[in-house]
Amino acid sequence: MIELKNYAISRRLLLKSGFLTIALSIFSRGELFAEVVPLETIALLQEDLFPLAKELESRSDLYMLIILSHSKIAKKDKKFIRNGVKWLNEEALSEYKKIYTKLSSKQRQSLLQKISKERWGEHFIYTILQYTLESLLGDPIYGINKNQKGWEWLEHKSGYPRPKSAFL
Amino acid sequence: MYDVCIVGSGAGGAPVAYELSNAGFSVVVLEKGKYYKEEDFSKDELAISRRDMYSPKLEDEYHIIKERTQDGSIEVYDGREYSWSFWNGSMVGGSSNLMSGYFYRLKPNDFRLKSTYGEIKGANVVDWPISYEELEPFYTKVEDVIGVSGEVKAHSFLEPRSTSKFPYTALQENGVTKWFDKACNELKFESIPIPRAILPIDALKRGACSYSNFCGSYPCATGAKGSSRAALLQKCKAKIITEAFVYQLISDKSKITQVKYFDSSGKSHTIKAKIFILAAQPIETSRLLLNSKNSFFPNGLANNNNQVGKNLIFSAGGTGKGRFYFENLSKNEQETLMQRGLFFNRSLQQWYEFEAEGKKYKGGTIDFLFEHSNIISRAMREIYDDKGNITWGRDLERKIKKTLTTSRVLTFEVFNDWLPTNECFVSVDESKKDKYGVNVGVINLYGHPHDLKVGEFLAKKATEVLEKMGAKEISMSISSSPPPNLVAGGCRFGENPKTSVLDKNCKSHELENLYITDASFMPTGGSVPYTWTIYANSFRVAKHLLGVMMEA
Repeated sequence: MIELKNYAISRRLLLKSGFLTIALSIFSRGELFAEVVPLETIALLQEDLFPLAKELESRSDLYMLIILSHSKIAKKDKKFIRNGVKWLNEEALSEYKKIYTKLSSKQRQSLLQKISKERWGEHFIYTILQYTLESLLGDPIYGINKNQKGWEWLEHKSGYPRPKSAFL
Repeated sequence: MYDVCIVGSGAGGAPVAYELSNAGFSVVVLEKGKYYKEEDFSKDELAISRRDMYSPKLEDEYHIIKERTQDGSIEVYDGREYSWSFWNGSMVGGSSNLMSGYFYRLKPNDFRLKSTYGEIKGANVVDWPISYEELEPFYTKVEDVIGVSGEVKAHSFLEPRSTSKFPYTALQENGVTKWFDKACNELKFESIPIPRAILPIDALKRGACSYSNFCGSYPCATGAKGSSRAALLQKCKAKIITEAFVYQLISDKSKITQVKYFDSSGKSHTIKAKIFILAAQPIETSRLLLNSKNSFFPNGLANNNNQVGKNLIFSAGGTGKGRFYFENLSKNEQETLMQRGLFFNRSLQQWYEFEAEGKKYKGGTIDFLFEHSNIISRAMREIYDDKGNITWGRDLERKIKKTLTTSRVLTFEVFNDWLPTNECFVSVDESKKDKYGVNVGVINLYGHPHDLKVGEFLAKKATEVLEKMGAKEISMSISSSPPPNLVAGGCRFGENPKTSVLDKNCKSHELENLYITDASFMPTGGSVPYTWTIYANSFRVAKHLLGVMMEA
C-alpha cells in the first residue's frame, strides 16, 4: 500500500489525480475480472524497471501524480499512461490470470520482455522509465530525489541557482 | 498614439526599442510571453528542458508541418500529435534568453553568394542588397552594447574588422581545449576560439558569468548572457506589454494604422502608432502578415507580389560526437575531462569555402562543445543498448552509472547554408485554429540535396579531429531536419519588389510604415548562428529609423 502522509504531495494534487488512486476495473473477455489501483501497478512497475529509484527514495510513484496533473503534459500523454496501466494488467490477466501486482518477480520480468516487443509496450516502458529517471534526478523541490541521493549516485553537481518553487 | 509599436521583444525587436526610446521617442513593445528577470531564473532541468517552461503548450498553439521528401511526396504532421515544436522562448527577450551565445559575424561573401559561387539549380540564391562593409559598424556596436567576449585570432576566413580586439577577454576554458588545439595542429587545421555573447566580468551593469555549467537552453541568472532583455530592454524606457498576443494588423492602402492583440484573459486591445516593427521570429511574422489580409491586400499584408512567407530557411548541417573514456586516460587527464562549468569554445571555419572538382563551393562552420550537462537527458540516452533494444533494471542502472561517471562526450555542430527554395515557405491553414481562434501557421519544409553534401563534407572534417584526439564511438548525423531555433527568411529584403518583401532598410515595399527586423529579412543565412547578424541589422534599421523620424 502506498503511504502518502510522509510526502510533499498536496491533497489537491492527489484529488486531481484521482485516476491513479481510485480502483480501475479490468475486464477479461467482457467480464469484470479484477480491480486494480493504478498507482500500485505503476509503483511496482517502477521498481521492476529501475529498482535503485526506490532504494534512493526518489518517490517515483508519487511523482507520477505530479505528471498526471502537470499543466505542460499533453492530454494524449496522460491518457497513454492510463491506457498503459490498463493494457499491462490485461496482458497479465491474459498470460497468468492475475493482475500485475499479484505476479511473481520472474513473471513480471517475463511479461515486460513480452510487451517490450510490441510498439505500445516499448513506448510504455520508455515512458515510465523517463518519469522514473526524472524523479531520481530532478530537483528535490518537487518532493523527489530525496537528499539529492540521485545526484550523488551519478556524482552530479546541480547548476545554480536552484529553483525556489516547483513548476507544475 | 505611440511613435513606434514593436511586435516581439527578442534580438530583432529590442535594438529598435532601445535606440528609439533612448532618443526620446515613445515606444511600445508587445510581447506574447511573460516578463521574467534574473531573480526568476534557475537551472531546473525539469521545468526548462523537460516541460518547456518557456514555450506555449502545443495543445494550445501549434503548427502544421508539411515536409517535402526528396522523391517529391509530402508528409503532413500536426505539431500536437508529433510533439513537433517550433517555439523558441515566449518571454521578454525571446529566445535570446536561451541561446548559447555563440557569436559569429557573416563573412563578406555571404552577402554576395550568387555572384561569388553562381546559381545552384532548384535554389533561389541571391546577393544581399547591402554589403558586409555596410553592416560592419553595427557588428562592432553589438560587441560593445550586448557584450562579446573572446580572442580575435587570424585564420583563413577571418572577416575584416574595424577594431583589433573584442571588448571583453575570453571566458575561462576547459583543459580539453588543449587536446583539441594539439590535434588540430597535427592535422594542420585552424582551431579558432569562439566569441561568446557572455560577459566574463561584471560590466554594462550586468553580472559576470558564474560558470554554472548550464548555459545553452537556460536563461542566465547573473545577466552575463547578452539577451535582448538583459542588454537592452532593461536599460531603456520602452513600454513593454507582456502576455500580449498580436493577432491582426489593420491597414489602409499604404499604411498600417493599428495592431490588435489579445491579453491573457482573451480580451482584445488596440494599439495605434506611427511606425510598426514586426519581430516575432520568421514563422510568426509571416503568419501574422498572412492572417491580416484586407481589401487592399487580399493575399495578406505586404503580399501583393506573393512573397510573404517565401524562401524560409534554417541552418543546415547536423551534429556528431565522440566519447572519451577514463580507461584511455591518465588520472590527471580524467580530472581535466570532467572539469565542470568551463567552456570549450572551439570551432573550425577552414572550409567556409572549399574546392571540389575544380569548383569553388560555399562551406560552413563547425562548433565543438561538450554534451549538455542536463543529467536526466544524459541518463535517458542510455535506455537503448547498442543494438537498439530497450533495457531496464540493474543492467540499465549499471550502464548509466558507468557511462556518466567514467566518460564524457564531445559533440560538434555543423552550420552550413540551408538553400532557399520555392518548396520551403510559411503559409496558413484557415481550417485549423489555435487557442485564440487564429489560423495556425503551416511550415512547408524542404532541404535542398546540396545542403546535405556540404554538411557531410564538413562533418567528416570534424570527425578527423575527434579521432586524432583519441575519442571513441565517433558518429555523425547530417540531415535536412530543421533546427527550430535557427530559422530565418520568409520576408527577404532586396531591391526588386517582385522577388522580395522588404527594401534594403527592411521597410516593406508595399506599406510605408511597416518594418521587419527579425531574421525574416535574410535572403540567405550564412553558415553560422544568426543572432549577432539579427542584432546588428536591427541596430542598422534603428539608425535609419532615427533619421526618418528626426526628419519627420
